[in-house]
Amino acid sequence: MIELAGLSLTQVLTVLGAVGAVVVGLYLLKLRRRQVAVPFVRLWDQVLADERTTRLFSQLKRLLSLLLALLLVALLAGALGDPRWKGASAEGRSIVVLVDASASMQATDVRPSRLAKAKDEVRTLIDGLGPNDRVLIARMEAHTTPVSPMTDDTAVLREALDSVEPTEVAASLAAGLRFALDVLRDQPHPEVVVVSDGHLGPARDGEGEVALGAVALRYVKVGRGRRNVGITAFSVRRYPLDKSRSEVLVELRNAGDRDESIELSLLGDGQAIDVQQLQLQKGERIARFFQDISGADRTLEARITLAGGAHDDLPADDRAYARLPERRRARVLCVSRGNLYLQAALLLDEYLDVTEIAPEAYPPAGRHDVIIFDDFVPSTLPDASAIYLHPQPAAGGVGPLEITGAITRPLFEQIDRRHPLTRWTALRDVNVADSLAVRLAPGDKAVAGDARGPLIVAGTRGGRKFVALTFDVRHSDLPLRVAWPLVLLNAIDWFVEEDASYLSSYRTGETWRVPVPAGAREATIVAPDGDTRTVPVLEGRAIFAGLRAGFYTLRTRTASGATAEQVFAANLADDAELDITPESRLVVGATTAGRVVPGRAGLRAELWIALVLAALALICIEWVTYHRRVTV
Amino acid sequence: MKRRIALEALFFGALSAGVAALVAWYVAVGPRELLRGEDRYTLVAPTILFALAVVPLLGWALRHSLADLPPLQRVLSLALRSLLITALALALARPARTSESSLVSTVFLVDVSESVTDESLGDARAIVQAAWQARGENDVRLVAFARHPRVVPIDDDIEAIPAISRHASAAGAVESAGAGTDLEAALQLAYGLFPPGHLRRAVLVSDGAQTEGDLLAEASRAKRFGVRVSYHAYKRGVPAEVAVRSVTLPDRIEVGSTFMVRTRLFATTPTKVRVRLRQDDAANALDPSRELELPRGETEVEMRSIVRVPGPVTYTVDLDVQGPDRFRANNRFATSAIVPGRPAVLLVESDPSRATYLARALVAGEYEVDVRGPRELPTNVRELERFDFVVLSDVPADAVSLGQMDALERYVRDLGGGFLMAGGEQGFGLGGWGGTRIEQLLPVRMDAERRRDQPSLALALVIDKSGSMTGIKMELAKDAAKATAEILSAEDYLEVVGFDSQPVRVVRMQSAANRLRILTDIGRLAPSGGTAIFPALDMAYQDLAVTRARIKHVILLTDGQTQESGLETLVQAMRAESITVSVVGLGSDVNRSLLQSMANLGGGRAYFTVDPHNVPRIFTRETSTVSRSSAVEEYFQPIVASPADFLRGIDVGSAPFLHGYVATQAKPSPAQVILRSELGEPLLARWRVGLGWSLAWTSDIKNRWAVEWLRWPGYQRFWSQLVREHMRQRRRQTLDMRASIEDGQVHVEVDAIGQDDRFMDGLESRVTLTGPLGARADRRTQRPTNDGGSAAQNGAAQDGGVAAPDESAREETHPLRQTAPGRYEARFPLDRYGAFVLEAVHTRDGRPIAESRAQVANPYPREYATIEPDETLLRRAAELTGGDREPTPARLFDPRGEKVRHNEPLWPPLLYAALGLFVLDLLLRRVRLFDRGFRPRRRAGS
Repeated sequence: MIELAGLSLTQVLTVLGAVGAVVVGLYLLKLRRRQVAVPFVRLWDQVLADERTTRLFSQLKRLLSLLLALLLVALLAGALGDPRWKGASAEGRSIVVLVDASASMQATDVRPSRLAKAKDEVRTLIDGLGPNDRVLIARMEAHTTPVSPMTDDTAVLREALDSVEPTEVAASLAAGLRFALDVLRDQPHPEVVVVSDGHLGPARDGEGEVALGAVALRYVKVGRGRRNVGITAFSVRRYPLDKSRSEVLVELRNAGDRDESIELSLLGDGQAIDVQQLQLQKGERIARFFQDISGADRTLEARITLAGGAHDDLPADDRAYARLPERRRARVLCVSRGNLYLQAALLLDEYLDVTEIAPEAYPPAGRHDVIIFDDFVPSTLPDASAIYLHPQPAAGGVGPLEITGAITRPLFEQIDRRHPLTRWTALRDVNVADSLAVRLAPGDKAVAGDARGPLIVAGTRGGRKFVALTFDVRHSDLPLRVAWPLVLLNAIDWFVEEDASYLSSYRTGETWRVPVPAGAREATIVAPDGDTRTVPVLEGRAIFAGLRAGFYTLRTRTASGATAEQVFAANLADDAELDITPESRLVVGATTAGRVVPGRAGLRAELWIALVLAALALICIEWVTYHRRVTV
Repeated sequence: MKRRIALEALFFGALSAGVAALVAWYVAVGPRELLRGEDRYTLVAPTILFALAVVPLLGWALRHSLADLPPLQRVLSLALRSLLITALALALARPARTSESSLVSTVFLVDVSESVTDESLGDARAIVQAAWQARGENDVRLVAFARHPRVVPIDDDIEAIPAISRHASAAGAVESAGAGTDLEAALQLAYGLFPPGHLRRAVLVSDGAQTEGDLLAEASRAKRFGVRVSYHAYKRGVPAEVAVRSVTLPDRIEVGSTFMVRTRLFATTPTKVRVRLRQDDAANALDPSRELELPRGETEVEMRSIVRVPGPVTYTVDLDVQGPDRFRANNRFATSAIVPGRPAVLLVESDPSRATYLARALVAGEYEVDVRGPRELPTNVRELERFDFVVLSDVPADAVSLGQMDALERYVRDLGGGFLMAGGEQGFGLGGWGGTRIEQLLPVRMDAERRRDQPSLALALVIDKSGSMTGIKMELAKDAAKATAEILSAEDYLEVVGFDSQPVRVVRMQSAANRLRILTDIGRLAPSGGTAIFPALDMAYQDLAVTRARIKHVILLTDGQTQESGLETLVQAMRAESITVSVVGLGSDVNRSLLQSMANLGGGRAYFTVDPHNVPRIFTRETSTVSRSSAVEEYFQPIVASPADFLRGIDVGSAPFLHGYVATQAKPSPAQVILRSELGEPLLARWRVGLGWSLAWTSDIKNRWAVEWLRWPGYQRFWSQLVREHMRQRRRQTLDMRASIEDGQVHVEVDAIGQDDRFMDGLESRVTLTGPLGARADRRTQRPTNDGGSAAQNGAAQDGGVAAPDESAREETHPLRQTAPGRYEARFPLDRYGAFVLEAVHTRDGRPIAESRAQVANPYPREYATIEPDETLLRRAAELTGGDREPTPARLFDPRGEKVRHNEPLWPPLLYAALGLFVLDLLLRRVRLFDRGFRPRRRAGS
């Protein structure tokens, strides 16, 4: 069937009627003949004798001429209606084209790149569409983002295709298919076309295997090379106790089909720290550890190059980035009458600026990040995170916890091993002479203790975190153990949110939750390619999904106007993307993807073009026939 | 003539080629766009302009026209026709004007997940309806979303938006289609709906409780696409709802010890509920159910439980709500843990029938106990490896081979096993353990100082020095005699009689204080001659009879056959004078029956051995036994010498008396005396040996000295805790493993940090996920019950669904990848609900060196866990993208100065122009406009 996209049928008929009437009117006019005086009378006989026969013929010619004129008007009026093949239930398909924009599509085995080739393939596909096919183009990486609406307008589709850019993210076939299935729900003749090198991960997610149902799956393979050595993991981590030193992991894999010799360089703050020559057999995976890296390197980068300056097919995975979690100097105030154990423990961390005052001198001037109250409770809640050691309230003091009594020989029986405070500690056999029995407020967490009461409590008071040890450490053997400084340092780390996630790099394609200074509501992220954008902050974390590997800069501004800047790294770090050998088949569940089928008719939808072309031809022909007196 | 035609053809051909060349130039290098003011004009398909090359040919046709038209009219006609063709060709070249539009396309994204009430859906419809009516030229689309978004088509000409319905679930689906909220997916779908040439607006109508995806991450992308995201938060109060938020078990559950199962409940209104706790498939025995009045908010319930069998255990909490409750799916929560197996204790006792007391106590303390005789003590350390603690109770040293001792020592030192020697008549010094490797292992020495009230001893060693003793036998016999001399105290007396055919006093009866001389004398023993026991024994008898001592004893060593008569009579006579006789038969051809009968009559013991190496030990043991130098048989109350963890909860002060112990001396620190006797001698001492513990309990553990303890209520607890504290720790190191579920993916993280503050790198690790365990919540159609209505959604399966046939727990194994120094991670999807346990094994070079355990619960779809709306999320997304909170239709369609470029096709006006030109062209043909005066002029002429 045909539908009109331009003028409505009534309008078309009106145009046709009006112009047609004029045309017919013109033809009804008696054509005034030129009168020529001819001196030879005998001629008239012949002329008058022929008239009987020629009249019929000339009338027919006139009719033909009129019909031609009317046909021309009809063609143009019809073209104005912009008629399209409609409905065509038997032919029109709904197609979602998933263009793989994952990292492996940056491979240069086909020039200029796999992604460019993929776009060419999609252009071919658009050209081969049937008259009623409708298409949506989407960029597929870890997420799937449509770049066009579902349309039959090839111009829109071509423009959308141009906007697909490569990313440094692993692709997720499951996400792509789920999106396509959502779009294609209740659409006629649904089809999914995947244009990819085939390394897309499993078609399985939290809801199980993706069920295609009646949706046809097509696959267009892109790429042919397979020479690739890449970095699959790159990470740096401080040692748990000696935080001035760190260890670096670099994992490499040769995903190609030949042995490679490569050069691995490790750069700290842009300067080479280490260069190694390595041999990787085909398919081999090796991990290199750089231990006891010390110094103030903020950013680390690993690079690999093939021996002899050659390049593999995928340069995107030849670099990896990491950043040491920054060590913030914490200003610690000890309010104590002198506690050697406490002083000794705090000396272990060179990043602490420790000030000690007597309880009488509290509160002192100046700001502190952490206040440790040793056997003393202040009269008001401090405006800082606090550690309370034996918070027995004196007169007027408000401890964080309500004291209900005492416990003799309490035991470390229940220990929350997941709490950051107890990390790397062994507390189970610590002997304690006595402790305070306390009542916890809602939200407080008993980190360790026994059935009679907690020994270590963590919680929040007035928006600030606190940790309370309900016993006097001098009446226990805790200070003689490694666990004692660990608990204190863990608590300080927990307060300043250091090491909460030691992450030295984020993974591209995942949603990043980057901790930001308290009070910030919006943050600006500058991507490695200079792209700057504002990202939201929720619960103290900037939320962002980056698509590129490299170093990002995060700028925040708090309500008070203070600005902060931090740098973090992001890596592709995906094993599947490393293997760039194109897959010749794409299988989802029991379905193997078929090949792309071109539309039934090669002609695209715009019928008006045909009509106008016909009119054009008619006009030329009519010109000739008129002047040769075939028509009049 | 022909020449003229050819010239004409050449002229018009050239003209036509010129036009074509002009078009070709334009197509190749001509300007693509034409800017005029704000507008931009382009030709989409300029190649069609080649059709213009026809125009000159029209002129050629005109030159040969037969039509009767005035020349001027002809020229005009040609011009019009050329214009007409040009207009059509231009139309075909598809000129377009890129202009700006401020039309708005708004996509409403309406949350129809289960957490949304029907009333709220009505509100959503009203919001969409208002926008629909106010849309004017603007575009309005509708998407209903829950777990997945679906486009709701709206016909252009309808007046009222139809009611927004929830998503129907596919038949046999794991869970309802509404059991999830994915704002991200909904927004992504919206991008594909905006028609070109419209400003993009999305309006979220939701409670903001997302279970999948991340709206804020998507909001950044939306901003990039120029989509302003506004929102309407559902305002209706939260429905009456009671849910189990979590069920937590302690990190370490031990078989047989009680612990608390903590359940966090959540209620939106005060409600009465019954909490039922099940352990695997049975009700929790200690605390099966509770009736509770839940206040608004969160409540924590603790219920006591105990696990009796090691292995996986699953706790399921079920809520019976007496009152309205919107969802039932969240009234159940299952969580699992793996309870490590019982520790194994090897109890070696010389009289296994008397081992039952301790064995019973340990079994009650959740231990596996294996009671064996001394011969069955494993001789290699591999066999010992399966035990966590070994008790050697009242076993004499000569019943334990050197190989067995060696295995024991390595078990403690290298494998970290726990070892306890318990005393008794044959324990410690009494059992001849002095000087053995085991003594070195123990925290006590056995050469106890003599005490004043102990009897003095006169000992006669009667040693066979016949020719058959030549060689090693003689040497060892001498060693035995020397060792005996060494262990006797100064108040004891010793005589050594050597005999062949004749007896010889090698050492005269004298004080053992003359040690040096005695040893020298013994050294002079030399073998020769036959065997005649009677004279030798008689000599010893005579000498002892005249010696003053409270204990008189003879040890006879022989290796030969003897048929002497009268020996038994002699022994009886000696016995009558309180002289006891023990015999040692060395070799296989001794007269066993005779020697045995001598020992019986003599009130002593008979030892038979074929290995001369045993002789010294037999002698020392016999000496210790006879002298009873180290046995203290008196009632005493144990005293705590230093506190120890395992004594917690045990009041040793209230313990009954012990009836005796073996006197020993504590070794210097680090040996630690835990319990002591009133005399200050160790009762219980311990120290670390290598990786393990070694303990000495100098009293016994059976119904002799500890007879009162057996009835003491603390007996079982004392021994259970003692063993637990000192038994071998886990075979392998346990690495910290955390597991969480995000977006349907299990994320497992293992931190491998060694004892030395070092990362453990290069481990090969695999994690096995097992589950869902116990609770039969697997594979079911989880449909909520809406008390509020929505009958369409509540067909069958109201009761939480129909169980699918396959409910067995599944196991899947995934590799853990090292992602950082000392960190291993795995991610894999999980599509089942219930309680799961994860066990990881870490190997290096194929040898397992560490393991990890964790549990994770995926009790029900997250949609049922998030009840409170999260407007902050929606607000942040709106702030970021420049959207509004609850925009009015006017605000929504207000372009706010924004414009969007779009292509406007310009070909229809050209077609209109062509039609007009055509009509004019016809007019020129049909009406003689010029030359009208032809006839009058002609007439005038005529």
